[in-house]
Amino acid sequence: MNNRRPPSTGTRSSRKAIDIVNAGLARRYRAEKRFRFYGMAAIAASLVFLSILFISIFGKGYPAFQQTYIQLDIFFDPDILARDALTTADYPGLVKQSLRRMFPDVEGRRDKRMLYKIASTGAAYQIRNLVLDDPDVIGKTIGIWVPADDDIDMFFKGHIPRDVPESERRIKDRQIAWIDHLIKEQRIEKHFNRILLTAGDSREPELAGIWGAVMGSFYTLLVTLLLSFPIGIAAAVYLEEFAPKNKWTDLIEVNINNLAAVPSIVFGLLGLAVFLNFFGLPRSAPLVGGLVLTLMTLPTIIIASRASLQSVPPSIREAALGIGASQMQMVAHHVLPLAMPGILTGTIIGMARALGESAPLLMIGMVAFIVDIPGGFTDPSTVLPVQIFLWADSPERAFVERTSAATMVLLAFLIVMNAAAVYLRKRFERRW
Amino acid sequence: MLSKTIITLTVIAFLATAGVAMAGSARDYISIVGSSTVYPFATVVAEQFGKTTSFKTPKIESTGSGGGLKLFCAGVGVEHPDITNASRRIKKSEYDKCMANGVDGVIEVKIGYDGIVMANAKKTAPMKLTRKDIFLALAKDVPDPNGGEKLIPNPYKTWKDVNPALPANKIEVLGPPPTSGTRDAFVELAMEAGAKKFSWIKAMKKKDKKMYKAICHTVREDGAYVEAGENDNLIVQKLNANPKALGIFGFSFLDQNSDTIQGSLVDGVPPTFDAIADGSYPVSRPLFFYVKKAHVDVIPGMKAYLAEFTAEKAWGPDGYLADKGMIPMPDAERRKFATDVKGMQSLMLK
Amino acid sequence: MDAPLEHTDDSRIAKASTVASETVKDQSSGRILYSRDSRETVGETFVDNPRMSCRNVDVYYDDKHAIKNVSLDIGRNQVIAMIGPSGCGKSTILRCLNRMNDTIDICRVSGEILLDGVNIYDRHIDVVPLRARVGMVFQKPNPFPKSIYDNVAYGPRIHGLAQNKAEMDELVETSLRKAGLWEEVKDRLDQPGTGLSGGQQQRLCIARTIAVSPEVILMDEPCSALDPIATSIIEDLIDELKQQFSIAIVTHSMQQASRVSQRTAYFHLGDLIEVGETAQIFTNPRHQLTQDYITGRFG
Ligand SMILES: Nc1ncnc2c1ncn2[C@@H]1O[C@H](COP(=O)(O)OP(=O)(O)OP(=O)(O)O)[C@@H](O)[C@H]1O
Ligand SMILES: [Mg+2]
Repeated sequence: MNNRRPPSTGTRSSRKAIDIVNAGLARRYRAEKRFRFYGMAAIAASLVFLSILFISIFGKGYPAFQQTYIQLDIFFDPDILARDALTTADYPGLVKQSLRRMFPDVEGRRDKRMLYKIASTGAAYQIRNLVLDDPDVIGKTIGIWVPADDDIDMFFKGHIPRDVPESERRIKDRQIAWIDHLIKEQRIEKHFNRILLTAGDSREPELAGIWGAVMGSFYTLLVTLLLSFPIGIAAAVYLEEFAPKNKWTDLIEVNINNLAAVPSIVFGLLGLAVFLNFFGLPRSAPLVGGLVLTLMTLPTIIIASRASLQSVPPSIREAALGIGASQMQMVAHHVLPLAMPGILTGTIIGMARALGESAPLLMIGMVAFIVDIPGGFTDPSTVLPVQIFLWADSPERAFVERTSAATMVLLAFLIVMNAAAVYLRKRFERRW
Repeated sequence: MLSKTIITLTVIAFLATAGVAMAGSARDYISIVGSSTVYPFATVVAEQFGKTTSFKTPKIESTGSGGGLKLFCAGVGVEHPDITNASRRIKKSEYDKCMANGVDGVIEVKIGYDGIVMANAKKTAPMKLTRKDIFLALAKDVPDPNGGEKLIPNPYKTWKDVNPALPANKIEVLGPPPTSGTRDAFVELAMEAGAKKFSWIKAMKKKDKKMYKAICHTVREDGAYVEAGENDNLIVQKLNANPKALGIFGFSFLDQNSDTIQGSLVDGVPPTFDAIADGSYPVSRPLFFYVKKAHVDVIPGMKAYLAEFTAEKAWGPDGYLADKGMIPMPDAERRKFATDVKGMQSLMLK
Repeated sequence: MDAPLEHTDDSRIAKASTVASETVKDQSSGRILYSRDSRETVGETFVDNPRMSCRNVDVYYDDKHAIKNVSLDIGRNQVIAMIGPSGCGKSTILRCLNRMNDTIDICRVSGEILLDGVNIYDRHIDVVPLRARVGMVFQKPNPFPKSIYDNVAYGPRIHGLAQNKAEMDELVETSLRKAGLWEEVKDRLDQPGTGLSGGQQQRLCIARTIAVSPEVILMDEPCSALDPIATSIIEDLIDELKQQFSIAIVTHSMQQASRVSQRTAYFHLGDLIEVGETAQIFTNPRHQLTQDYITGRFG
């Protein structure tokens, strides 16, 4: 501005100030317009990327919320189900029997094996649970919907084309004929995939669920929250309100800021060295995962909390001190409540980051195949992002859509947490 | 008021931590670590085992063969794994480490084979490669095509440059990074074998082993070989998007995606189930797991797990592992290892 | 001044008292005795039986010398006004009196400040009871973001001054009444204190301060944001409060100083220039700088 029209006493005296203002006005508005445009363009670009991400994940993932089921007429054969050994009876045999009865013309070992593979191996467990729950079904014939094998599921959902040569498909022509027969008899249908949301991991895609990972994430984050929230607040309050300002506190501050930027895998290495090797805590446990993630989230929480404490107006502190509140009372009664929205936001952002983290957990053995749903802090478990990683790496094609579905669940959790951050902010926010 | 809550919470959290830390001394499930190649097979066995027995489902970590053996050999006790999977045999150095740490009874179980395939999309014709072609196309330094016993930086741009019988497509291979077991096996089984076709390189093995290794195992870094990450599914997807490229991954991924991709022939043999099983497909490797003898009677379910893995319905030609893409061993070999396991035969490496 | 000086036999004090007697002598002529260059304190620095007394107080913000060797007494049950141009150190000396300056890291205080003969800067003095005894009303109204009731009840609550709810209600009511706010807020005690007007907020802050019954009240320009009606309410309040309390008030309004105070101290660039009876300061200043200031020639 100044370069173009250097202010000289001559112009200033010959033109009125308002004229100079008016002359510059157009340029000022143009600059503002340009800035707004850049801002909008930036937002639009990020929205586009976000929607591409969402569309691709949703597009791939939504079919996973449905699973192909086959209706089998199971005859609960009293010869197989001896009353005294119900737990160990040959349930797969029951499934095979009913499939054979449905397709009596299937002959030969190879073909029979192919036929048996239509139903998931989970069918036998399902029938077993049914019998154990209600032994009175023995002797009856009941139509039961059982999950189809993952290849059948993929075919039924249209992911395996019919028109390629037989040798290049995982579904053979005979199987297609059987499926067509089932379709005609209305014995094959897509149902809501409850297994996906309620089961633990499995190597059979049709039996794999994320509940184990959800529980693992829950326990891990609970430990993280219980440790990092109080410790983070205590550290922030101490540094901000009590610590003398000197070289040491400066050093600590620099270190905390650095820690926030350290790659998360480093915390995993630290956890391995300290919690597993030194303290001898169990591998793959949410407890250790929580501890490691605590180390990772603490700097975030401390930094956010300090910023939030700093933003509390000094007049409020003086008011409290002026009446004779102690430093601690001032902090606890006035400063902390006012800083709470910011602290909570920081905490939730830290927790959301911890929820999405898998790298540090690799080192402490939480990247693992775990079927049983964890029931406590020391049970072996994995977490949601690790489950996604493991599924993404599985050869079975049906895991592709399940990977996206698990990502959707993770995103849902993240959205819920961030919404909670917004809500808490609103709730606790007070004007002064 | 608030400060009290915070202090109480912290104390509770610490107590809880300390409390459960005490409780973590016993283990009632089998802990397995090791190779990511064996992982898809071991997990199926573990799941089957967990569902059909009263024992808990074993926990299986995918740590890589080397990482698994390191954990495995760290000592005896519940904090150490019971079994490690490996996509190669245990090394003498690792065995010695085991011994030094008191892990003296180690049972070796070979479970089957895995083929490493080079595949491309069905949209293009299948490639007919030799291991020598593979070496020349992918090594960082190759023998001077003008003769003489010297190396020059890899000059080949297209497959036709390597071998006039091959199509004039640009050399573009998507493969795993050096951290991966598949990559180790690939450079050893395909590239090193190809390099040996040059007699002077072969002769070097005796004279200068380090140099020999460097020649055979160093993959070119000029962009023709693309490190596509550990995720084999990703490589498969990229092949479909880029039909001229080749990808390197385990046989089970080819098996699962046979409608869109095809394996290249190596030395005239296609990577099929049967060809890998009978050993005619050259780029294949044995898979193992190692069991800590001292844990067999301590951790519940160990014997039953070993029985499940070595049962015909699991590792046999018609077993469920074959369904998952593992190539079973010949009958005689299976029998030998099954009896070894039953007899708790310890491995001896001299 | 290096060593803290004794109360009685000190050369400077002796000089000050001579000055005082000289002043009395020259008052009739109305002649200014001290030129602009003089920085010695003129007037009656000391009173009998003071509530608080400053002895050779120096205050530094880092290297900035904000208060230079000031000695001053605050008498019992009277109001002392502190006046002077902006930035001369009025707030600084006021904040020394209940150690509010402790909260500023770069602030260093030397010398002695006595409350009933006890040095409040002594190492074993606890600031919490000190601030309960020496309350402060700030330049800008700063109510807590809590209800009106809680604002007033906060001090008594943390000090445990009320045994039960009824006592607390009573205390809140009398404090608000004294501050002249009761009638305006008695129906909305549970509404936020921050929702009041600026003048009401300032009176709320005064109510909050007097609720803990301090012995000394420090007021830093309490009326700077108030209209004349609110100002006069507060001035009346100050008048009434001085029956029980000792009050030090900083103000930029000469009229206010002359209306509410018995003594006045004039500060200039960190020096205490002149202190004495309010009437005398405003009618017959002894120092040229005081004269300049009150006649509006500068400041
Ligand atoms: N926190 C601080 N840090 C550094 N210097 C300060 C600080 N507070 C005050 N000062 C300086 O000390 C001197 C005295 O300030 P003080 O606030 O006491 O002035 P004042 O007389 O109250 O002025 P006003 O009438 O404008 O309120 C000023 O020069 C000011 O710049
Ligand atoms: Mg001031």
